[in-house]
Amino acid sequence: MREKNWVRDYGPIVLAGLITGAAALALTALGNPKNMGFCIACFERDIAGALGLHSAAKVQYLRPEIVGIVLGAMAAALAAKEFRAKAGSSPASRFLIGLFVMIGALVFLGCPLRMVIRLGGGDLTAVAGLLGFLAGILVGIVFLKKGFSLGRAYPVPAAEGAVLPGVMVLLMVLLLAAPGLLHFSEEGPGSQRAFWLVSLLAGALVGAAAQRSRLCMAGGLRDAFLLRDFRLLSGFLAIWAAVTVGNLILGNYNLSAVSQPIAHSQYLWSFLGMALAGWGSILLGGCPLRQLILAGEGSGDAAVSVLGMVAGAAAAHNFGLAGNADSVVDGTYQVGGTSTAGMAAVALGFAVLLAVTLTHLPKKEGAR
Amino acid sequence: MRQLRLVVAFHTTSAAIAAEALCRRLGLEGKLISVPRQVTSDCGMAWSAPPELRETLESRLAEAGVETAGFYELVV
Repeated sequence: MREKNWVRDYGPIVLAGLITGAAALALTALGNPKNMGFCIACFERDIAGALGLHSAAKVQYLRPEIVGIVLGAMAAALAAKEFRAKAGSSPASRFLIGLFVMIGALVFLGCPLRMVIRLGGGDLTAVAGLLGFLAGILVGIVFLKKGFSLGRAYPVPAAEGAVLPGVMVLLMVLLLAAPGLLHFSEEGPGSQRAFWLVSLLAGALVGAAAQRSRLCMAGGLRDAFLLRDFRLLSGFLAIWAAVTVGNLILGNYNLSAVSQPIAHSQYLWSFLGMALAGWGSILLGGCPLRQLILAGEGSGDAAVSVLGMVAGAAAAHNFGLAGNADSVVDGTYQVGGTSTAGMAAVALGFAVLLAVTLTHLPKKEGAR
Repeated sequence: MRQLRLVVAFHTTSAAIAAEALCRRLGLEGKLISVPRQVTSDCGMAWSAPPELRETLESRLAEAGVETAGFYELVV
């Protein structure tokens, strides 16, 4: 009986994690950048570049994985009669929070999902990001307990909930039918990509699995700390386990804090960047992956959060805020990291999140 | 140990936390849980209580202005 309960409680989420980890490994083997089979922040940044919203030539490609995740989640929600169009939960604040979640993630060089994938590749520099993410989650929980809320969402016409999935379909049409309108990296991470159909299907598979299981890194840590419930977190542990084992089998595991792909060893700013992303994710009610899933389920608020993230990605590269990876130049190892502007943006992000938080606390006890 | 419980769902996490504070203040048995998957695809929090407290909770939460999204009797 106990085994059956465990399978019922943890089976779907662990399976979703294993699927996501395996898909990440497959995408990397088929062309995606190392330790970046999936990265919601990086891929939304690439999409911003493909659309000309920033001009960083190395990170421009309309990533079909993002399209697949949203449409896969939508298909799963429709099949289960769980597609519910709703909106109205502080959309402007969500846009702003999403923008700074993205800046924090790009200072670190990855979203929470890529953070776990980096750890699964043996990238010890990601530990600083993990610790920062935990710290940010804890700050968010403190304010949740004080009553922070962006307010509830209300039912809206189905078409409203279908806006972001519709945009995703249009992006895919652009990629296939009018690629001349888009920017494509010829070198760097944006030039490393699996075949579009493989990326789309892998994204759809992950999107559907995440919708069914509610896979969410921020929610997992929130439940672990606040409720001592480890179900959601087990999904991300499954991703880490799958990626670690897969990399060991494929000979791609490199346990080290130097020369890691698309990573830097400026630990303080990795910590602070992910602290910003973690705090923001708690305020939004989910990590960047979860926002895509919710948007696929019909949440207009999550769609606004995603658009905020895309705007944040454009800002990060237009204003030189994103982290720079460590590199080897003429045989010399050069530590990358964050620019002064990036540091200022993270500091500003904390100030903005604090302001949003304080303005969304209950005015008097019991008032909801 | 799985058992039949009253599960109160909310539209926001803050409402779930407000419900916990209210029940603690009133001495009503229960605890916060992750909202069960069979209730919603959202990943928020819910209040789990003995089923016999349903009427009490419905009235007390309404009086306190804590908005609920539904009451369910589930084995959790």
